[in-house]
Amino acid sequence: MIEAGLKNELQKQGVYVTTLEDLYNWGRANSVWPLTFGLACCAIEMMAASMARFDLARFGAEVFRPSPRQADLMIVAGTVTKKMAPLVVRIYNQMPEPKYVIAMGACAISGGPFKQGYNVLKGVDRYLPVDVAIPGCPPRPEALIHAIMTLQEKILNQKLTGPDRARHLNADVPGEFLVPAYGKQDLEPSKNTEVWQPPAIQR
Amino acid sequence: MLVEAILMTTTDHNYLVLPMLMVAAVGFALTPLAAAWAWAHFFSPAKPGKDKNAIYECGLEAKGDAWIHFRSEYYLYGIIFLVFDVETIFLLPFAVAFTGLSVGAFVAMIIFLLLLVEGLVWAWRKGILNWH
Amino acid sequence: METPEQIKARLEAALPSAKIDVVTNDCAAGERSLLVDAASGLAVARFLRDDAQLKLDYCSNVTGIDWPDKELTEKIKVKQIVDGVEKEVEEVKKTLRPGFLEVVYHLYSMELKHGPVVLRLRTGNRADQTHVPSLTPLWRGAEFQEREVYDLYGVMFDGHPDLRRILMWDEFEGFPMRRDYIAPDDFEYEPTPHDEVLEAAKKHYPTEVKA
Repeated sequence: MIEAGLKNELQKQGVYVTTLEDLYNWGRANSVWPLTFGLACCAIEMMAASMARFDLARFGAEVFRPSPRQADLMIVAGTVTKKMAPLVVRIYNQMPEPKYVIAMGACAISGGPFKQGYNVLKGVDRYLPVDVAIPGCPPRPEALIHAIMTLQEKILNQKLTGPDRARHLNADVPGEFLVPAYGKQDLEPSKNTEVWQPPAIQR
Repeated sequence: MLVEAILMTTTDHNYLVLPMLMVAAVGFALTPLAAAWAWAHFFSPAKPGKDKNAIYECGLEAKGDAWIHFRSEYYLYGIIFLVFDVETIFLLPFAVAFTGLSVGAFVAMIIFLLLLVEGLVWAWRKGILNWH
Repeated sequence: METPEQIKARLEAALPSAKIDVVTNDCAAGERSLLVDAASGLAVARFLRDDAQLKLDYCSNVTGIDWPDKELTEKIKVKQIVDGVEKEVEEVKKTLRPGFLEVVYHLYSMELKHGPVVLRLRTGNRADQTHVPSLTPLWRGAEFQEREVYDLYGVMFDGHPDLRRILMWDEFEGFPMRRDYIAPDDFEYEPTPHDEVLEAAKKHYPTEVKA
């Protein structure tokens, strides 16, 4: 490991040094390929973000892949109904490592305006490990770009070794999550407690 | 030392630079792939699973068997399509060269067409053109 | 276009067995609709579609409504003998209107460019007599909407080609848009609960919620 201060000093002298970790993360962060996958109106904003005006290509994230086998990032763009939730989890399971999830919009975060309804999942984080959540209904393309930049920052700070190393490098962290089954009234189970716990109130 | 040796040999063998460039080009292409493979093999733990290894990738579970029977009519339909297809391929040059053809060639082409028409009539009478 | 009363008169002349009412509406638009008994619903709908003056060839919308059991209160004046003197006394009369399910069709004519004619079909009750005739054989576009009404309200459409759930999954039990449907208790803490959420919050976080 090279110290940050020493690295800066060397850079001023015209000597550029890097570590394998930085190089690896730099490569990963600048080629995040999202999955072509929209559930509701947020998907329209996602499409707008990838078009010329907002140009997601500037961040290396413009290659929307139509197959989960080729994608790194799942943008859960829109309302996840309970009927759709098992399919979303299954598609996530089919993505190769490393994989990241952005929950886009109020519905994907918490169920949004449909939270008290009978057929909408109260947030996709009940079944999937969400890396970045974007509030908004729907969030503007700038917000999605901000989320991708936040994710890039997260990827740039990943560790390759040690106990807190990146998820995909740790054999003990699962790569697949439980696919809920359709029950008589609700999904069974209604939440994956390995991923999500009910919020505890802190006073 | 090495560079000197290479320069020495290239002056002796004028075309040696070509295979050298080729080796360099192939190496340039394969080295990142090999590095990626090595990284995946030695550092990234494999995490296979039931869903990940599933064939179908639209989120739904595959139902039923892929080895299903097609009705024999389907193949006959395909053969009839081929008749029309091949006919068109032969008819186009026939039409282009029509004025310059000898009588023998014309008769031969007519016989060919009659054979195709006969096949079509046979298929029609068998009821293959009706979709069930 | 003809008024609902005119359509009703012609329908009664053409189909003597059909029981038809005109349902009034108190709202600003005051759109009236035709209430038809379920048994002759299909015949009435066929008349509306094929009649030369109406030609209602387009079914734009199918809606379900749940009417639960309701106690209707009515004030009536009754003559009573109080202390030997006859007086008019106001009395509150309570009647129980049994609940039923209702399907509403909005019909338009593309050819004659008029509409809508609103057609209502009612079921006998909300429990076992929930059958109405399907109008999908007449208007193909009603198929998915009738499936939706079946899915969410539990109205059984006789003669529907493919009556399955459409929005909820096949294993789902119950009809979630009925007024007495209780969703599974899956409360998640919210900082500003209100109404039913407040009740749930009191139950799940009794020490936190003071209201």
